[in-house]
Amino acid sequence: MRTFGVLLRRELGAIFLSPIAWTAMTFFLAVMGASFWMLLELLARGAEGTEGGTVIGQLLGSIFFWLALLIVAPVITMRTLAEERRSGTFEMLMTAPVRDGAVVLAKYAAALLFYAALWLPTLAYPIALRLLRPLGAPMDVGALAAGYLGVMLIGAAALAAGVFASAVTRSQVTAALGGFAIVCVFFLAGFLPYIPHGETMSRAAHYASGVTHLLDFARGVVDTRPIAFYVINTAWLLWAAVQMVGARRWK
Amino acid sequence: MASTTAQPPMVRVSHLTRRYGRTLAVDDLSFEVGRGEIVGFLGPNGAGKTTTLRILCGFLAATSGEVEIAGFDVHTDSLEARRHIGYLPERCPLYTDMRVDEFLRFRAALKGVSARQVRERVEAVKEQCGLSEVGRRLIGQLSKGYCQRVGLADVLVHDPELLVLDEPTIGLDPAQIRQVRDLIRELATRHTVLLSTHILTEVEAVCRRVLILNRGRLVASDSTDRLCQLRRGIARVTAEVRGPPEEVRAAFSALSGVRSAVVETEGEWCRVRLECAGGADPRPDIFRAAVARGWTLREVGMAEQRLEDVFIELTAPEEGPREEAERSGT
Repeated sequence: MRTFGVLLRRELGAIFLSPIAWTAMTFFLAVMGASFWMLLELLARGAEGTEGGTVIGQLLGSIFFWLALLIVAPVITMRTLAEERRSGTFEMLMTAPVRDGAVVLAKYAAALLFYAALWLPTLAYPIALRLLRPLGAPMDVGALAAGYLGVMLIGAAALAAGVFASAVTRSQVTAALGGFAIVCVFFLAGFLPYIPHGETMSRAAHYASGVTHLLDFARGVVDTRPIAFYVINTAWLLWAAVQMVGARRWK
Repeated sequence: MASTTAQPPMVRVSHLTRRYGRTLAVDDLSFEVGRGEIVGFLGPNGAGKTTTLRILCGFLAATSGEVEIAGFDVHTDSLEARRHIGYLPERCPLYTDMRVDEFLRFRAALKGVSARQVRERVEAVKEQCGLSEVGRRLIGQLSKGYCQRVGLADVLVHDPELLVLDEPTIGLDPAQIRQVRDLIRELATRHTVLLSTHILTEVEAVCRRVLILNRGRLVASDSTDRLCQLRRGIARVTAEVRGPPEEVRAAFSALSGVRSAVVETEGEWCRVRLECAGGADPRPDIFRAAVARGWTLREVGMAEQRLEDVFIELTAPEEGPREEAERSGT
């Protein structure tokens, strides 16, 4: 446990002090800001723009959110293990008395905390809406919290995919592309429910559709099925990453 | 710790084999390193030194065979074994984005130095490795020599019993090499040291025992001095006498153990170079032969065989098959 704490502190330092992370943050907030601006435009046009959805749903349902997530998650995680392998520090790290799992989890936890920090400034948007009430839009705190829960769950799985991709290669670019590919497949699969095909197929697709999950969360619907879906996917991706880190000890 | 039985050796390697795919990197290697020993781990590039050290430190698994560090199996009891080792990998990789102090504190905590002692240990190793001035500097901005010292400080920070150093002086300038070597020699008084290198003077200067590895096999394991004295091959004797060259050659060639003699003249002096069978020492016979014929002898000496000669001899590629291959190839 102490080892995990020591590793986590080092990883947080490495992430929060790296220029890549700040570039990613700038990019992310620019995209989210643009998204928020478009939302305001919609609201200004009146009810027909926001039919049925909540404000946070409009924000999270936008293509901008997904684009930002698709790019930002692999960028946060690409460095984690690939860079250690490339620079050779991996050898120094793994010959210290540390478990493979502690190393992977510390790197993952640091990435997750950075991801959460990315989202923190976006809380200003609903707060601004609520305080200013410029358009008299209703603001449901429950739906807002559920929306952020969904954001964290999807992010958690995307980051786990990124850490896994970073564990299999020594090149950051490959790691980023690998993580991007996994998240992309997941995102595109999210549109399956909207493509007409058989009843069973459609329902199955619904279970794995990130887009629908997020819209549900943003409506304030906290369903255990999507929660389990993300927790399980995160867990097995991290397990796979630990196996990759231990692969050098395979006989 | 069992107090009734003798303490296990610091390192025990038995029948260690490691394959990379079809390549055999380490082939049935067995050796021990006792507590307090300073052992040189020699071999040409690609002999399997680094692979062996990585297995010792728990970074790689052996394909077969066993390795114990201070009695702990590196595979089944990996964490405990790793706690006893300070390992400096080849080329000394460090986190270049950290400051020296920050890095050493991180490593100390990671290796289980208690929170109260971290600062104290870090100060101690910085002092020991001459890093007191650069604590605030970023590692990425340090010179190669300083990086190497940071690596050594990291190795020492948890005060391990066994130091495993993989080519610690590679890429340093002569003055830095001397500094690092002095440091290692100093460390050797308190730790067990396994030093891998292909720089032979380093081993001669520091180590008391040598393991020579060639193509994954152990080809010699002996004290540095004895290995040099072994003279497995030929001994070279030179003598200078005043006498007729032809007679000198004839007389000396006839001595027992002498394989060949070459004579050069230098005015009225003859300089004779003899190649003798291993173990033979014809020097007394040379003296007696010269006296018997009334020649003046002004020098007779046996060339001390250096570790380098032994090393070259032991790690030379086998001649037979290669010649055959060349013949059939062209």
